Amino acid sequence: MKKLIIYLLGASFVGAGELIGGKVPLATPDSGASRGENPLASSQMLQNILQYKDGYGEQFLHFQTEWFKPLFMYIGIGVLVVFLLHYLIIGPKRFSHERRQFYIFSLFMRVIHWIAAIGFVLIVPTGFMMVFGDALGGGTLVRNARYLHSIGTVLFAISLVPMFLAWFIPMLPTLDDIKWLFIAGGYLSKKKREIPAGKFNAGQKMWFWLAMLGGLVMIATGALMYFQTVDVNQLLQYIGITAEKDQIEYLRLSAIVHNFLGMVIAALFITHLYMSIFAIKGALDSMISGKKSEDELKHLHSSYYRKLIKKENKSSL
Amino acid sequence: MSEYARMKFYCDDERCIECNGCSVACAEAHELPVGINRRKVVTLNEGIFGKETSISIACMHCTDAPCEQVCPVDCFYIREDGIVLHDKDTCIGCGYCLYACPFGAPQFPKDGAFGTRGVMDKCTMCAGGPEETNSEKERELYGQNRIAEGKVPMCAAMCSTKALIVGDEQEVSKIYRERVASRGKGVQSAPYGWSTAYKN
Repeated sequence: MKKLIIYLLGASFVGAGELIGGKVPLATPDSGASRGENPLASSQMLQNILQYKDGYGEQFLHFQTEWFKPLFMYIGIGVLVVFLLHYLIIGPKRFSHERRQFYIFSLFMRVIHWIAAIGFVLIVPTGFMMVFGDALGGGTLVRNARYLHSIGTVLFAISLVPMFLAWFIPMLPTLDDIKWLFIAGGYLSKKKREIPAGKFNAGQKMWFWLAMLGGLVMIATGALMYFQTVDVNQLLQYIGITAEKDQIEYLRLSAIVHNFLGMVIAALFITHLYMSIFAIKGALDSMISGKKSEDELKHLHSSYYRKLIKKENKSSL
Repeated sequence: MSEYARMKFYCDDERCIECNGCSVACAEAHELPVGINRRKVVTLNEGIFGKETSISIACMHCTDAPCEQVCPVDCFYIREDGIVLHDKDTCIGCGYCLYACPFGAPQFPKDGAFGTRGVMDKCTMCAGGPEETNSEKERELYGQNRIAEGKVPMCAAMCSTKALIVGDEQEVSKIYRERVASRGKGVQSAPYGWSTAYKN
């Protein structure tokens, strides 16, 4: 014990001696981030004041005050009106469910799909609630919507990788998709005819790729805005990218990207809901039981249907 | 122009000695949670002889405050004397005000069991919030309301070198001009940050 005290006293004397001797320890060049502190509070803050107009700050201000809210409103209302008109004028497609049933979606895929679905059902409406938060008066309601928005994201994130791996190959674009796009999937006519499409049609593929790749971007930008002080430059360094933008600039860019991409994803999500619940009667059942009726397959996924029949004939020979 | 006083902050980087007294006094006066600094002292060119300067920054209480413009729940309001305040009961803690702020003023204390980000906290220029003046709730949410008591905001009141000054813009400008004139250097049309904060 005595030894320790003597040692400590000695150490403090040595330290003092250095100071008296003029050897003032120079502070390391400042960067709050490298010390593992809040990257938002660094000397970069001062430069940011002067660079505000050149950076994303001014742009975010412009988009948030002039663009985001009206665009979300137009897209939300626009999509709903289009589908209401479609339902009233062209109407839903009905297929016989009496003939054979084909087992299309495995239990695993259905579970993955419904995890993602619950995620989206939480994410999209709460997103709209935040955009129109002033109309709802803010406070606890909108704050809880923000929390639900993040919880939904966790569900979606869980489903993202398995869904991508399982559906990656059937979702690759084919020649059928071009034909599908030219006739808009046959949704503009009342006639029931064979639509060129594989296991998934071009519309489903668009939704898949947007939800997967766009979803990844949404998770990344959303997570950054959620965690706020996770140093992006350090993260980029781990994957070998040297970037010099300040943390606040990444946050601003995230908010801009998240809003614009969010509009597109919300629009296609509503489309997906409309198609599965209203436009094609009984389509929802196939994601519950995993089975699609022969009539529906033959018309809406004609190429896939032919492939299934061919395979069947081969195996029965 | 308003006939009321227009309250502004001014930090003299020639005088600031990076003692962090303003930041500590503010945190102490308003009983801020750990990790929240409504006022921060930032040093440039740290350790480089002759070039080191420090400046204390907090909410500048901008005219046309960008935070007020971007808030999705409209929780901000601007007093007649220019002080920008917000309602913590309405705030949802989304962080948009931070993205819009040139000065990095808004901060978000951790709140709740899961460490989720709580509602925004920022400098009130010691003017409290929308609650009843000097009520217990106002003190709890926003800290002291020194302006209502006719006192100078805490940070400027205790600044030992009088680098940090707060008050009506006419008075602050006068002091700024006198200091620049007596130093004979560092002539700027406006103090640091003012052109960003107050686009008159």
